[in-house]
Amino acid sequence: MEALESPTPSSSYSSSYLKSQPIPSSTPSPLPSLMSRLWRPAAQRNLRNQWSKLASHRQQWASSSSSGKSHANSLVNAHLSQRYMPSLELGVLNDMPDIRKKACRKLCKQQERYRIKLLSSYKDMVAAVIQMVNACRSMRCYQTGTSNCTLVQFSNSAGDQNDTGDGGGVSVFVFLSISSHEKLAKQLVRMFIMELNVKRLLVLELLSISCEVPQDIGLHWGDQLYQGEFDNLSTLNLFSEETCEPVPPKLMDRKSDTPAVQCKNQPNPEVLQVYLTTWLAEVNINAHRIDEIFSLIGEEMHVSLS
Amino acid sequence: MEAMVKKYQQKFRKVRDEMNRWDELQCRLISQFRNASSIIERLQVLQDPSNYGALNCIDGIRDEVLRKQMESLEINLLSMKRTMEEFHGIVFSIEKIHRDSKQQIKGGSSKPNAKQLQQRVGVKPSLVDCLDGLLVLYDMHHSEYRLKASVVSALSALTLKPSASDLCALQQLLVDQPNIPKEEVQFIFDIIFAEEIC
Repeated sequence: MEALESPTPSSSYSSSYLKSQPIPSSTPSPLPSLMSRLWRPAAQRNLRNQWSKLASHRQQWASSSSSGKSHANSLVNAHLSQRYMPSLELGVLNDMPDIRKKACRKLCKQQERYRIKLLSSYKDMVAAVIQMVNACRSMRCYQTGTSNCTLVQFSNSAGDQNDTGDGGGVSVFVFLSISSHEKLAKQLVRMFIMELNVKRLLVLELLSISCEVPQDIGLHWGDQLYQGEFDNLSTLNLFSEETCEPVPPKLMDRKSDTPAVQCKNQPNPEVLQVYLTTWLAEVNINAHRIDEIFSLIGEEMHVSLS
Repeated sequence: MEAMVKKYQQKFRKVRDEMNRWDELQCRLISQFRNASSIIERLQVLQDPSNYGALNCIDGIRDEVLRKQMESLEINLLSMKRTMEEFHGIVFSIEKIHRDSKQQIKGGSSKPNAKQLQQRVGVKPSLVDCLDGLLVLYDMHHSEYRLKASVVSALSALTLKPSASDLCALQQLLVDQPNIPKEEVQFIFDIIFAEEIC
C-alpha cells in the first residue's frame, strides 16, 4: 500500500538539494552512542503514543461501524415496511382516509433520517482510518537541530536527509526496530483501509434504496458521498487518478481484475439481508491477527493496548 | 429434630442460590441460541450468489462472508457448550446437596425412626418433606438439563439443513423449561419455609 510509505528523507528533499550540499558522513550508519542514548527515549515515547493512537482509533472504528450497522438496519426495515405497505392487512384501520399514504410518507421521512445517520457513521469510519494512517506514518523519530547544537530535539519530520529516523535500525524497546513496528502497523491499518472500501460500496447501495419510484436517485460508484470524500480517499490510496474514481473494493490479498462496480438499485429483501450481514462480517478485518499484533506490541513496550 | 429441620432449610437456601444462577444461565443460553439460529437462518440466503447484488463485483465475497459467518456460528456453538457445562455444574451441586442430606439421616448418630421422619412441629416441615423436596428439585433440573443438551445438539445438526420452523420450535422449548414447572417449585419452597410466610 503506497499510501502508507513512510516519508523518507529522499522523498522529502529534491535531488538537486542533495547534490548541492556535500554530505559530511556518507553512510547512514548507526548514530554515535551519545546520540543514540538520547534518541531511544524520544523514539520510545513517540512509539507509545502512536500505538496507543492506533488502539484508540480502532475502538473508534468499532463503534462507528456498529452504529452504522444499526442505522443501516433501521433504514432497511423502514424501507421494507414501506414497500409492503400496499399489501399490508390493516383491518379496521382500512377505513381511515389516506392511511396508507400517510404511513408511507412517515416511513419515507424515517428513511431520510437514517440515511443521514448512516452517512455520518461512514464519515466517522473514514476519519478513524485516516487517523490510523497518520499514526502509522509518524513512527519514525528524527533529530532536529544541528548536531553541534547543545539542545538535542526530536520530531516526526526529517530535518537531515541522512537521518532515517530509525536510529540506524536498532531495536527501540526490546526486539523490534522502527521498521518492524511500521511493518506491523501497516499490516493492521491495511485491513481497515480495505474494509472501508467494502463499507463504501454498502453505504452507496443502502443510500440508493429510495422511497420514491425506482431509479430516480441511484448513486454511482464515481459519485462523491460527501464534500471532500475523494480527498480523504486519496490519502488512503483508495482513489484512482486514472479513472478519477475510487478504486473498486476487493478482498484482502486477492489479486483480481476487479470488474467495474455496478450499482443495483432497488435490491430485493434477500440482497438487503446479505448487505447487512456483509457489513457485520467485516470480511477484510482479521480481528484475531489485530489482537495478536496489539498484544505483541504491548508486550514489547510494556504497556497494555486495547 | 428441630435443629435438623433448620439444617435442611439451610440446604434449601443453597438450592435457591443455585436456581438463581440457573436463571442467569438460562438468559445467557437463550441469547446465544438466538444468535446462533439467526446465523443458521441466514446461511441459505448467503449461499446464493444472486443475492449479493452490487457486492458481486468483489471477487470471492460470497465465500468470505460465508466463512466469517460460519466462524461466528462456531464460536457461538462453543460458548453454548460452555454454558451447558455450567448448567451441568448446577445439577451436580443440587444432587450433592440431596445426597448429603440423605446421608445425614441414614448415617447420623441419632437415627430417627419412621415416626420422627414424618413428624411435623407446628408449621415446620417434616424431615421427609425436606428430603422429598430436594429429590424433586434435583429431578426437575436433571431432566431439564438433559432436554437442553439435546436441543443444543439438535441446533448443530440443523446447521446443515436449516428450517425456520424447527429453529423456532427449539427455541420455544428452551424458553419454556417444561421440566421445571414454576408453581410446583414454589409449592415445595412454601412447605419448607411455611413459618416465614405466616
